[in-house]
Amino acid sequence: MTESIMAYILMEIEIGLTDEVVEQLRQIDQAIRISVTTGGYDIVMLLEVANLEELYDITVHRVHVIKGIKETQTAVVEKMIAV
Amino acid sequence: MSSVSQRPVSRRPSATVFYTLAIGSGVMRTLSVVFDIAAINTTEVNPIIYGFLAQWVSFLVSIILVASLSIRRTVNGRRQSLGYDLDPDFDRLRILPKKPMIYLVIAGFFAGISTLSYYILTGAANASSMLPYGQLVIIYLLLGDLVAEKDTPTIVEIQSIVSILFGVLLIGSTPSGFDIGALLIVLGPMNVSSAFVTYYQRKTKRYEIRPGLRVDSLNMRLWSLLVLNSVMSLLMIPFMPTNAVELMIDYFVPLFWMMVGSGATTFLALVMYARALGKGSMSIVNSLSAVSVVLGVPVTLIGNLIIPGGFGVIQTDPFMWILTLLGIILVMIGILALQASDVKSIVIIKVKPHTGDLLPQLFDIKGVERASALAGTHDYLLTIKSRTLAKTNSMILKRIQKIPQIEHIETLVVLREYR
Repeated sequence: MTESIMAYILMEIEIGLTDEVVEQLRQIDQAIRISVTTGGYDIVMLLEVANLEELYDITVHRVHVIKGIKETQTAVVEKMIAV
Repeated sequence: MSSVSQRPVSRRPSATVFYTLAIGSGVMRTLSVVFDIAAINTTEVNPIIYGFLAQWVSFLVSIILVASLSIRRTVNGRRQSLGYDLDPDFDRLRILPKKPMIYLVIAGFFAGISTLSYYILTGAANASSMLPYGQLVIIYLLLGDLVAEKDTPTIVEIQSIVSILFGVLLIGSTPSGFDIGALLIVLGPMNVSSAFVTYYQRKTKRYEIRPGLRVDSLNMRLWSLLVLNSVMSLLMIPFMPTNAVELMIDYFVPLFWMMVGSGATTFLALVMYARALGKGSMSIVNSLSAVSVVLGVPVTLIGNLIIPGGFGVIQTDPFMWILTLLGIILVMIGILALQASDVKSIVIIKVKPHTGDLLPQLFDIKGVERASALAGTHDYLLTIKSRTLAKTNSMILKRIQKIPQIEHIETLVVLREYR
């Protein structure tokens, strides 16, 4: 069992800036999966961090400063089951 | 703020590690088949005798490796086994709980039948045939899914089934026609059993021993191998020559290192496959590890140049080689087309107030690869995979919608994914 924290950041992106935002998000080491999606959100990113402080650090200082991100929704994973 | 040096997750392995693991798994699978075929052909040992010895040596190798991986060390102040890096669910060599053990016994039973078929075939085939033969299991898994779901196949599924089937038929052809006996074994016991093995192994891996802890792949391999060997040994008895014990004693020492090589490479193939799955999608891992199908040809040719006849019977007729190569290409196309057609979606779920834990129920829905319970506006996030968008709706979403406690569902189709 891992003791790190996982969190999803769901993002709405300004039209035409998805690729630029993805490029910036890919620079984040803690991002383990970035999905470009259709629907209510444009990008869903899964992060694995050591603690909530690190999550705060990434969301505030790395994600929120990226030009083109309109809105984010951060959801901390309480429990995850994967194949 | 936490410094970079304090972040264990920041040391994320690069894409190179992922590709190395996935392709490495295919290479190891090829090597294990090569060890078997070379051992049988260089010593002319009866394949059944070799199979019996090799499988029990493989069990011995596995038990030593799993026991070694149970050794504990301290990482960042936490006691962890060496095997933790291979599978985070692994703690130590242990007996599994009753239910997953029953699944493993069933998986081991079918694996015994499949392995016996494999050893019967190794005596008459080479690595370039054996490796594609094993891929036929994909057809049975697909057909099993279609029957169980009462679903109509998609065009890609039909194309893949036909492509793999024709590929295997071409590979199994000989100058005098089809090797009916070999094909019957391949189409029948070898791959039908493999499909059951995959089904029950998947069931075992999804079993939750306690909250957050699932059955680890190392103990799974070990215990299923024990059952496999027991079943295979029983089934082998009628095929054994009368002087079997003498032959085993005679061949044990000369073949020992070949058998250790086969057992160790099989173990590594499984571990690398499991590790690659943890870093990338199953479709990409399966496609990359299918390199074993192609590798069989150069390995057989080069091996036979070094030790003539040591790597199996090879065709001298160029036309037969063309047929074999076409067969391999068809098998590869079938596998790749199937893997490339997967549609992935993310489903965000909000539940009604006073709803209990729905996570296990959601994860049990077929096609759900990852289920997360969330803190915040949304309650659950699922990652789902299916062959087409229509199937995402009919097979997965409709089942989620049937759960009465669910208030709102939002589906996001994944267009591109980065890892």
